[in-house]
Amino acid sequence: MEGMTQAREILTRNVERVRSAGAGYADARYFADDSSEVLVLYDGNLEANDTGFETGVGVRVLWGGAWGFAATSDLAAIDSCFDLAVRNAQTAAGLVKVPLRMGEMPAHKSYFQSPVGTDPVAVPLGDKLDLLAGIDARLKEDWILRRVVVANFTRRHQLFVNSDGTDVEKRLTNVFADMIVMALDGDSEMQRRSMSLYTTGGGTRGWEMMLDPELFSGHAERIKSELSELVKAEPLEYGRRSVILLPGQTFLQVHETIGHPLELDRILGYELSFAGGSFVTLDSIGRLRYGSEKLNVSSFGGIENSPGSFGFDDEGTPERDYLLIDRGVLVNVLSSRAMVNEANDRAGRRVLEQSGGAARATAFYRAPIDRMTNVNILPGADGSLEDIVASTADGIVVDNPTSWSIGSNREHFHFGCEIAWEVKDGRRTRVLRNPTYQGHTLEFYNSLTAVGDASTWRLMQVDNCGKGEPNQIMQLGHGVPVVRFDNVITGERG
Amino acid sequence: MLDRRTRDILLAARDGAARRGIRAAISLHRERSHLMRIGNSSVSLNTSENLTRLDITVLSGRREGTHTHLGEISSQSVVDGAIDLSARKAEVARPKDYEPLLPELQEAVAESGQYDSDLAAMDPGEKARVYSEVFGAAGPAFDFSGSWSSGVVELYLVSTANELEAWHIGTDQIFSVVMKHPERKWELQDEQTGWRSGAVRAEAAVEHLASLLPVYERGGAVRNEPGEYTVLLGASAIAELLGMAVWTGCGGRMYEEKLGWTSNNSLGDRILGDNISVVDDPEDPLTFNMGFDMGGMRRRRFTLIDSGRLAGLTYDRATAARYGRRQTGHETNSPGIVLSCGTGPADALEGARGHGGRMLFIPALHYMNLPNMSKGIVTGSSRFNAVLVEDGAVVAPIFSSRVTDTFSNIFGRISALSMKAVSVNGSNTYGRRAPVAMSVPAWAIAEGVKITDCAESF
Repeated sequence: MEGMTQAREILTRNVERVRSAGAGYADARYFADDSSEVLVLYDGNLEANDTGFETGVGVRVLWGGAWGFAATSDLAAIDSCFDLAVRNAQTAAGLVKVPLRMGEMPAHKSYFQSPVGTDPVAVPLGDKLDLLAGIDARLKEDWILRRVVVANFTRRHQLFVNSDGTDVEKRLTNVFADMIVMALDGDSEMQRRSMSLYTTGGGTRGWEMMLDPELFSGHAERIKSELSELVKAEPLEYGRRSVILLPGQTFLQVHETIGHPLELDRILGYELSFAGGSFVTLDSIGRLRYGSEKLNVSSFGGIENSPGSFGFDDEGTPERDYLLIDRGVLVNVLSSRAMVNEANDRAGRRVLEQSGGAARATAFYRAPIDRMTNVNILPGADGSLEDIVASTADGIVVDNPTSWSIGSNREHFHFGCEIAWEVKDGRRTRVLRNPTYQGHTLEFYNSLTAVGDASTWRLMQVDNCGKGEPNQIMQLGHGVPVVRFDNVITGERG
Repeated sequence: MLDRRTRDILLAARDGAARRGIRAAISLHRERSHLMRIGNSSVSLNTSENLTRLDITVLSGRREGTHTHLGEISSQSVVDGAIDLSARKAEVARPKDYEPLLPELQEAVAESGQYDSDLAAMDPGEKARVYSEVFGAAGPAFDFSGSWSSGVVELYLVSTANELEAWHIGTDQIFSVVMKHPERKWELQDEQTGWRSGAVRAEAAVEHLASLLPVYERGGAVRNEPGEYTVLLGASAIAELLGMAVWTGCGGRMYEEKLGWTSNNSLGDRILGDNISVVDDPEDPLTFNMGFDMGGMRRRRFTLIDSGRLAGLTYDRATAARYGRRQTGHETNSPGIVLSCGTGPADALEGARGHGGRMLFIPALHYMNLPNMSKGIVTGSSRFNAVLVEDGAVVAPIFSSRVTDTFSNIFGRISALSMKAVSVNGSNTYGRRAPVAMSVPAWAIAEGVKITDCAESF
């Protein structure tokens, strides 16, 4: 294919063709360039020096209220790919109890580009390796058994057209990085501390993020120091106490127990056979007390610098900024066009006004499903981490997940973390190892007693959210502050 | 064998690389996948994917570069371009402190023993027909969801190390249907697997769901207090636990790097109960067979755990190179893990009757993870079809219950195992299609399993 102009002509012609043939709706995504690069230094050895390139077309057709999808990496076979998507939809239409509707949406002609200073894929490999090797050298100590430095760059150039007349071209760039140090404790158990590249929500998301010490490399000494304490620490004992989550842990708590249960396709039962359902129902919207008054959660697709920001979703809906939870009450969910229409039909009232702009697909060969964009806890008024610690009688501060296991309807959870700091009478007293905590989602969020201010807020990047069948790995963001929950079960029973 | 045109292109590219002095391996992954998803008793997605991936590895001394191209192999220049890119990356790469290994085929392989042209060509309408039959048999009172994935995977591997070629083609499928009560919220599941057309039968699903229904229709459910329980594990739960135990306990990299729960043991040490024997058998008919790995090794039966003792550690190409070990043929996404059966009856409830007493029947575990890999602590929660059993009779459903325990406790105190082996499909659909199944006993009774939490819902 000779570039975007030809792709636009072929896709638009075929979308019009299948629409004229009887499709209720059709869209297509052409990926001209879906490039990725993964570099892994493991104990100083370059264990991954990998690049990937993907190109192809994905076609989605709604026929008789049912979806058909087809994808091909053979760019000479686009017409037949449309035909296959139509046939798949026609077959599906033979077994439809609740016909899907996309509804009306104004056409958008637009172009979106991630704000990027320097394209990370285009930076010379030698420069990238020099940077990673420098970080690795800072992590190296005789007592440290394992060192890992990972960088992952992606660059995507894609075109979306649909039968509403929407035509959106996007260039998306993402930069992810992690560093990990590991050492054995006195019981010969491996302990670890890690740090992931984060953002402030502002700025640009190119190679320059890797060069900002505050966002990543400047934390090398801190994680080494914390690991040195961790290997000498006592294990956390079982008991109920307050738990203060740093952003490195808060993001996953939010992801698993607010983000996923608020995906509308899960609520409607479309993920039941694999990922699971949700304890949230349509009746919950506007009524359910999800958490304490201190809990305010947004879905904000327009955060300047986040992997969860992409301009328009994969069915042409512009990014949105709206509250999911307002002072503890559930007021909205993560949604896409057809799911919103179905929810309103099923509820018999207008529970949702419009699509949340959250239909996303991981690759050209996957169909869009309801995903998170940037799901955030808004900063609160309880001051800094130190202020929150000072007001805690008996608790732990925890950071970074090692393990997460969630109930199939997201009603209960169990997390393991890398490190805990004991808090007694308003002071951090010592480091504890092998911290875990568990709870039931609603009870847990209703025990939220402190939310840190903007000084504690970080945009944490997620590059590996899995959902759907066939499974899709998605990139997104969580802007989160320090938070405290009281009376939480921590540690494991003997 | 691979279609002639593609094969000619890849062989010419390999020979061209060799002439240019490039040490390269070329592998092809081609899939034709189809998936029908069900939601709310409707087809929610009917999708076809036709994808070709080319993986290139180039070594230059101790430097390595790799590249994956997803797109059609329309000409030799596509392959040459990927090789040249990998070679340029290898030149710039930092050298490793050990000698990396290039994939090198031990022998020529051409296998199609688990390929069924009928399944490869299955009309999606047949899937809709089966689901319709299941929905019709149960009536309109329930909401159904599920998925049925089927497909063809073709793998091809050559390298400049020698002239040999390895080729594999196989079909696979996994079917699931979940029946949910719209008000009471319980969820019952039936799952079927196999590589042949006809392996999935509507009547089997209907019969299975119907057998589970009476106790759920009576209403009520048991909330389990934290404590130690006798647990009747179903095949899926056994496979999920065993898969994680083998990955973290028998993986050479986990062991060498002291990350796994057996890292302080030696080969021959007792790590599990003496009724636990595990092999990786690439010819077991209940698994998806893969005769070679991507390091070029001929895969052969490999003992991992023998009567509870650690018997073998798996080494892929990279781990073997780094730690100076021999490759064991485990650079594959399709191992064939087999847990030996016992002497108990085929049916789980009969097994429970023989054991006697009260136990939790947990057929499957959801969302497992490892809070402490060094200790082999695993956690996950019950989901579909979980019930309380007394003297072999189903008493009541149980609410979602969390198991948090060690592999050594769970597989160290198995008091009975079924004589019947069943296939559990654990295929990975992240990215490329990779069929994998385990052969495990239909059930096992584990004593003193720790239940650490329970919800008040299913």
